[in-house]
Amino acid sequence: MLPVLSILLATLLASTLLTFLSGRWARYVALAGSVVFLVEVLLLLASFTQWAGFGAGGVPQYNDPETYPWISISWLTVNYAVGIDGISLVLVLLTAFLLVATVVYSWREEKEPALWFGLVLLTCLGCYGVFVALDILLFFLFWEAVLIPMFFLIGYWGGPRRRYAALKFFVYTHVASIVMLVSLLAVAFYSGAASFDFTSLYGPARALGATTQVFLFLGLFFGFGVKFPIVPFHTWLPDAHVEAPTGGSVLLAGLLLKLGAYGLIRWAVELLPTGLGHLAPLLYAVAIASIVWGSVVALAQRDLKRLVAYSSINHMGIVLLAIAVGSSLGVTAAVLLMFAHGIVSALLFMVSGSVHHTFGTRDINAIGGITPRTPALSTLVMVGSLASLGLPALISFPAEFGALLAAWDRISYWVLLPLLILVVTAAFYMWLMQRMLFGPPKGIPANVHEPPSFELAAMSILAALIVLYGVVPSLLVQVIVNSPIQGWP
Amino acid sequence: MDPLAYAPEFVVLAAALLVFLADVLGVRRLEAFGGIATGASAVAFALVLADLGTPVLSGLSTLPAGVLDAPLGPGITSFTSLGLVFQAIFLLAAFFVSLASLSRPSAEAGSAVFFGLLLLATLGMLLVALSADLIFLLLAIELASISTYLMVGYSRKEARHLEAAMKFYIIGALSTALSFFGASLLFGAYGGTSFYGLGPAATPIGYPTLALVGYALLIAGLGFKVTAVPFHAWAVDVYDGAPTDVSAFLAGGTKKMGIFAFFLVFLAPLLILGHTPALGPRGFASALQLTLGIAAVLTMTVGNLLALLQKEMKRLLAYSSISQAGYMLIGVAVASGPAVAGATFQVLAHVFMKTGAFLVVAAVASLGVGPLIEDWRGLGPRRPYLSLSFALMLLSLAGVPLTIGFVSKFVLFSSAVQAKGPFVWLAVAGLLNSALSVFYYARILKTIYLDPPAPTDAPAAVPAPAAGIGWGRGAAILLITVGIVALGIYPGPVLSGIQAAASQFVFVGG
Repeated sequence: MLPVLSILLATLLASTLLTFLSGRWARYVALAGSVVFLVEVLLLLASFTQWAGFGAGGVPQYNDPETYPWISISWLTVNYAVGIDGISLVLVLLTAFLLVATVVYSWREEKEPALWFGLVLLTCLGCYGVFVALDILLFFLFWEAVLIPMFFLIGYWGGPRRRYAALKFFVYTHVASIVMLVSLLAVAFYSGAASFDFTSLYGPARALGATTQVFLFLGLFFGFGVKFPIVPFHTWLPDAHVEAPTGGSVLLAGLLLKLGAYGLIRWAVELLPTGLGHLAPLLYAVAIASIVWGSVVALAQRDLKRLVAYSSINHMGIVLLAIAVGSSLGVTAAVLLMFAHGIVSALLFMVSGSVHHTFGTRDINAIGGITPRTPALSTLVMVGSLASLGLPALISFPAEFGALLAAWDRISYWVLLPLLILVVTAAFYMWLMQRMLFGPPKGIPANVHEPPSFELAAMSILAALIVLYGVVPSLLVQVIVNSPIQGWP
Repeated sequence: MDPLAYAPEFVVLAAALLVFLADVLGVRRLEAFGGIATGASAVAFALVLADLGTPVLSGLSTLPAGVLDAPLGPGITSFTSLGLVFQAIFLLAAFFVSLASLSRPSAEAGSAVFFGLLLLATLGMLLVALSADLIFLLLAIELASISTYLMVGYSRKEARHLEAAMKFYIIGALSTALSFFGASLLFGAYGGTSFYGLGPAATPIGYPTLALVGYALLIAGLGFKVTAVPFHAWAVDVYDGAPTDVSAFLAGGTKKMGIFAFFLVFLAPLLILGHTPALGPRGFASALQLTLGIAAVLTMTVGNLLALLQKEMKRLLAYSSISQAGYMLIGVAVASGPAVAGATFQVLAHVFMKTGAFLVVAAVASLGVGPLIEDWRGLGPRRPYLSLSFALMLLSLAGVPLTIGFVSKFVLFSSAVQAKGPFVWLAVAGLLNSALSVFYYARILKTIYLDPPAPTDAPAAVPAPAAGIGWGRGAAILLITVGIVALGIYPGPVLSGIQAAASQFVFVGG
């Protein structure tokens, strides 16, 4: 059988290296590499008809599995082990879409283009690896591999306070990674598993006692939660987003935030169900706090980018709520919302970047009535905003609906709280559109024109995906359910 | 015993004598002395690897059959796989430093002294790794130590080198006194000083307090050698004041013999005597283990906290070296086969990372860049290869994946978690410290890559890229960088070898 997943990894690795070396041709190499990767992922998606199912002892199996020994000493067995199920495949698809969109959007990057495109590819390589890795060490390795390129993307291409933001991002997420790693090691050693392989951990880890599971789950929740980000560990996010260049923000919001949620599903919820059961109230509380805090603070923002950043905290709170439910419906909705938020926040960060280039400011109050002058850009602002507020027939709606429906099963009337917050979210996006797009013209430079065609192209791709998957969400849902959550209530 | 078994030691000794002889005969070229030292350490390295049973080199092995990892007897030397692994590590450090030192100014005064003493210190370290007797061990440490005191002050010109040498000597003498006093108490308690008599063949004693005091004094005496807190203060002044190549050897090489000495002296009371019923349920092992654990945590924490405050590159590296010693002491405190393997791999990693880092500092200083961290501003774009090497070394020290430093910390901290119980806290302390250390490593990376060079001193601070660092130094840095990445990506065979050696180590297996 073809080592499909390694071929995809090799594609990204080769494109990254070639891009670093190709000087002023970097953007062409990067585009070629990312398009090849997207085509490969689409082929993988087309060939993914049936998930491998549960093996002996109820241990989930994975499609296209590969296992090679890596470190093997008497008490420590580490493998290069990869495999996919529906959940990881959808997120790999998201990675491929955002990679192409980011490369196209930053087509005219002037500052060290070879370095820029190479680091963008490297970030996506790390994310891809996280989604397919089935071994603790390999998972952690890719997890950390995302940090370093992102540190440079923010710290070298970012805004005025970029160095502070890059350092804060690095330190917050690195400390969290360490807690995550020690918790995963403890899962392996306390359960007495034969190796660090997910499939060999599965049985022993689920058999751990309740107290052990609770402690381990807490460690993992903190480790993954900072990446989410959950309140109160979210403060790195607005800083990182505001200072990051547009492409960096797109990857940060679109992919990096998904790593935490994916890790929580795969390595905490699947391995430690008893721990989740005992800690669910805490997770609900944190999730609702993030939802409320994210959207209330977003309401007070004047900077378009900061607003989108805070609304990310809100959306990821809904993802956490759905994961905490721990049901088949909840996790399906969570993964769908992760995909949706990945595309929508990417689009919104791109439009804020383009607004900034076009009008010289991102201050919502400083510009108004831009529609007659830049109709294409304001259409895209509208698509992004409407998708983000959860308009039916756009991608976020089925996901948020599913998440709240799943939550209703567990927390009943408390669901009203996030539901009311959705109204607030809708309000601030409507208000935003009213002020920026339709009000009386103000703050518009005389020689203003539409953003360059490559920026519009990148944003249009994302807008098309928002509509496509909004109208036919079953395209994604039927893939997501092809995973171990089939066996869940 | 067949004298050929000591072939690596003889090679190094002969090379040292050859260097001094050539100096007496009027040879004045640094390249000649450096060539001898580099060649001798490479040959001895190959011989040690052959003795360890490396497939390609096995024809070179001079070790008689059945000698390696034989049960400990009352002799003064013994051949253990773990000892040979440490020998290989010491020789690697000596090789890197002598290769890099080939790029020192050709007519430099005192170069024969430098290379001769480097070889003699290496000889002392090799003998440490063969020790089977406490007195022999302490004498071998003395041979290495006295050579290094002189190396620090070999140039005899700069006052700060001499000051560092003096400080190093006085502290070293104190440490020796403490160690020998501890050894004499152990002699009183057990009636012998061979590790056989202190371990497997220990006679039940009536004075456990005496032995405990003896071991406490040895923790202090050997603690100076590995820069364990609170016996660490000298290290910063000495590493800072010494010529940078010597600092590379001290941090990457001689400090590591202290770790092996810790294994030799303390694994027996922790693992063997601890199970002697005459000494109570765990003997005094619990007290020793607690002391060593606290020393490990203190060492890494103090080292890291003080490193955060440093403004000079060499002082920062010295403090980071102290914190790394703390990680290695975890292996001594946990005292299990996996932990010994983890600590040994950490020692190997540290040779690459810290020797490499000091060699880069020497290279950058030779380009005319000042000693402060902020003098390195904007070095990244101007010296891309040198900066990339340094960045990889720092990332490795910080424990970032795909570097050897990640693998070593991963194995070491895993071994602490694997031992479960209270040892998990050692892993947590180690990991929190790794996180803390990221602050100052990231700050250096930021200075090198993100900060613009200061406009006023730019021409003086960073000369044109044409200025070279010398091929010897370049080759050493390249080899180290390749090693950091290669062993970070695929540690398999080396790690398996170290694990096998650790699990066969006399005190662990016995």
